[in-house]
Amino acid sequence: MKRLLVFAIVSGALGQVPYQRIAGVDNNPSTWLTYSGNYQAQRFSQLDQVNQQNVAQLKLTWAYQMRNPGIVETSPIVSDGIMYITEPPSTATALDLHTGRPLWTYTPQIPSDVIIIGSPPVNRGVAILDNMVFYGTVNCHLIALDAQSGIVRWDIAVDDNQKGYYITSAPLAIDGKIIVGVSGAETGIRGFLDAYDSKTGKRLWRTWTVPGPGEPGAKSWGGESWQHGGGSTWMTGSYDPELHLVYWGTGNPAPDWNDDTRPGDNLYTCSLLALDPDTGKIKWHFQFTPHDVHDWDAAQIPILFDADVKGRQRKVVSMANRNGFYYVLDRQTGEFLTGVPYIKTTWTDGLDAKGRPFARRDADPKVNGTLVSPDITGGSNWWSPSYSPKTNLFYQAAREITGIYYKGDAEYKDGTAYTGGGGERKNGDDAYGAVRALEAATGKLRWEFKLITPPLAGLLSTAGGLVFGGAEEGNFFALDAETGKLLWELQLGGAIRANPMSFAIDGKQQVAISAGSSLFVFGLP
Amino acid sequence: MRAAILVLWAACVLTAQSPDEAKGKQLFLGMCSRCHGLEGGGGEGPNLNRPVLTHAADNQALLAIIRDGIPNTGMPRVRRMTDAELNALVVYVRSLSRVAKVAITGSAENGKAVYNRLGCASCHTIAGQGGSFGPELSNIGALRAPAYLRQAIVDPAATLPRGVLLVPGRGFNEFLPVRVVTRDGREVRGLRVNEDSFTIQVKDAANQLYSFRKADLQTLDKELGQSLMPNYSGKTSASELDDLVAYLWGLGGAK
Repeated sequence: MKRLLVFAIVSGALGQVPYQRIAGVDNNPSTWLTYSGNYQAQRFSQLDQVNQQNVAQLKLTWAYQMRNPGIVETSPIVSDGIMYITEPPSTATALDLHTGRPLWTYTPQIPSDVIIIGSPPVNRGVAILDNMVFYGTVNCHLIALDAQSGIVRWDIAVDDNQKGYYITSAPLAIDGKIIVGVSGAETGIRGFLDAYDSKTGKRLWRTWTVPGPGEPGAKSWGGESWQHGGGSTWMTGSYDPELHLVYWGTGNPAPDWNDDTRPGDNLYTCSLLALDPDTGKIKWHFQFTPHDVHDWDAAQIPILFDADVKGRQRKVVSMANRNGFYYVLDRQTGEFLTGVPYIKTTWTDGLDAKGRPFARRDADPKVNGTLVSPDITGGSNWWSPSYSPKTNLFYQAAREITGIYYKGDAEYKDGTAYTGGGGERKNGDDAYGAVRALEAATGKLRWEFKLITPPLAGLLSTAGGLVFGGAEEGNFFALDAETGKLLWELQLGGAIRANPMSFAIDGKQQVAISAGSSLFVFGLP
Repeated sequence: MRAAILVLWAACVLTAQSPDEAKGKQLFLGMCSRCHGLEGGGGEGPNLNRPVLTHAADNQALLAIIRDGIPNTGMPRVRRMTDAELNALVVYVRSLSRVAKVAITGSAENGKAVYNRLGCASCHTIAGQGGSFGPELSNIGALRAPAYLRQAIVDPAATLPRGVLLVPGRGFNEFLPVRVVTRDGREVRGLRVNEDSFTIQVKDAANQLYSFRKADLQTLDKELGQSLMPNYSGKTSASELDDLVAYLWGLGGAK
């Protein structure tokens, strides 16, 4: 039997990952074929072998140690006996799923004068489609590798790194297209979202997140400020195959903390965009934080689900925004349905009926500092939330921490910082974090599990009734998805700054997480 | 060396009252004064009213410190700054060397005798000698200002140091008193050595180490605002206190 299984896996390795397989991933939960597990970006595993009764028996299956130092934020992709990861800053590696032994690794030439302003030089993972894997690099290239060998199929410059463009997020692969966003608002880039032909690397469309003169939204910028207006697209979006819409969050306006040159709402920064993946046309937008001055990127993962909202069945998209509010929008129209704080916030007196904040101008950054909740990292940030269709709960690793916001000088010069200030975190005994379970349709808190330090790691929920998460001090843990009760915890010896995911090896469920500079895979004995 | 100091001093004088200095002062008040004092006299952070700064031999080094912070110390990179902002801060910080140093009236030599008489060495180490329950003081004068040192003696709970190292974690209170009662009724009072969301490590006054899983505890009191160091207010004369401050200030500071 075992021999047969092994044979099946090996022959599967000759297969491919067509778009239809990614779209139907719920039917084969032993794989993990897109960044957040499915196009709805739910980071939910249908596997239930590891459950509330046996999770405490989890044992190490294997570990992999990264070759380069640096923060590991990779979220693995698993298909056909192979795990695909990225290592900091811009290496892609394929591991044998059974043993963790590398099958190939690829490191591109990164110029020594590479410009990375706004985040550490991290990479959050690859996308897979057909027989290739795709990932972005810190010098703003998009690279396609043969999935079996790591041989380069194509390598293109998405934009000019010397102007501050770079890539940290995993691309989104849909039918024949690779959609990729960029970082760089802290250098005053003009943000965009790109789609490329997966076979050739030819660009199919580019949609600017900051409109040029005469375009819709252009009047929301003062003078020439749009040219360096920011609006990065630095985290992976989600996709609704039925509505055929891609959902992508946008980052802060530039300069981040000095708004002198950019009066107006600064569209489409700090927004969620719904785009037609065939043309890149923006079908609707919702701006969470008009005229942002705190770096409230809306780069958090937009999760798609259907729910009864105020008595009506809706197709919705939700986001636990960096600004501290949990939003539910109609994903067909962009209509605002719900917006409630999921952490303490002091920068706004709530939201109006259309979801627009009553931003407090006395919370704006000042030269001598302004104390605001949350801190500069926000209530959430890049790490993934999770939605369980079994509990209808939205799980978020949330931060309860204040920060001091400073306004500073801002001068635009190609490839240099264009931030206009910054912030200082008030870490320590007064700050804390929590895994919070929100009723997905309303944002109402169902339970929380406290952490002594505001977290920088994502969550996974499973059909086994579990939520997996990671702590800044290195603890990997599993909670009861219904109650938040702690069921298992293990110290991994390094800060967890990654998202958990789940897959199966020969029918045995595994859970993977990175901590420190290592990737760990756990399964039942 | 003396020539270099003279050149530095001259550079400071030449830039006095410049617009940079005014801008630097504004930035300093916002970002630096909480630790270094309003005029650089120090506090929780080092005194800057001196011509030679420990980590900043020249303006280039000073600029790098303001830009990047100093790893594993209390000096953070507060925020990203433009070159003009950095230069203004360098000019202003150098100008602080001309501010008169805090007057120290006590005798460091007498202070050493007070230190010994009070038994401070049972908990503190200076130059390799002494106990290890409390913080090491070998270089304390370089890290804190006299007013802070005085308060630490007469009201130690008011000055619990904020963590600057990886243990127990940046920003956490160091030497935090905790009281722990296990589910089977054992009680331990001591200092938090480290903590995560699931466990806590504690040492008691005998330096005995305890490791607890929080799930096994019925009580975990973090006694914020308290200190296990005795309060020496009223246990020293005013002149003895001055002498003790002078002694501690001399440990790496009063130069």
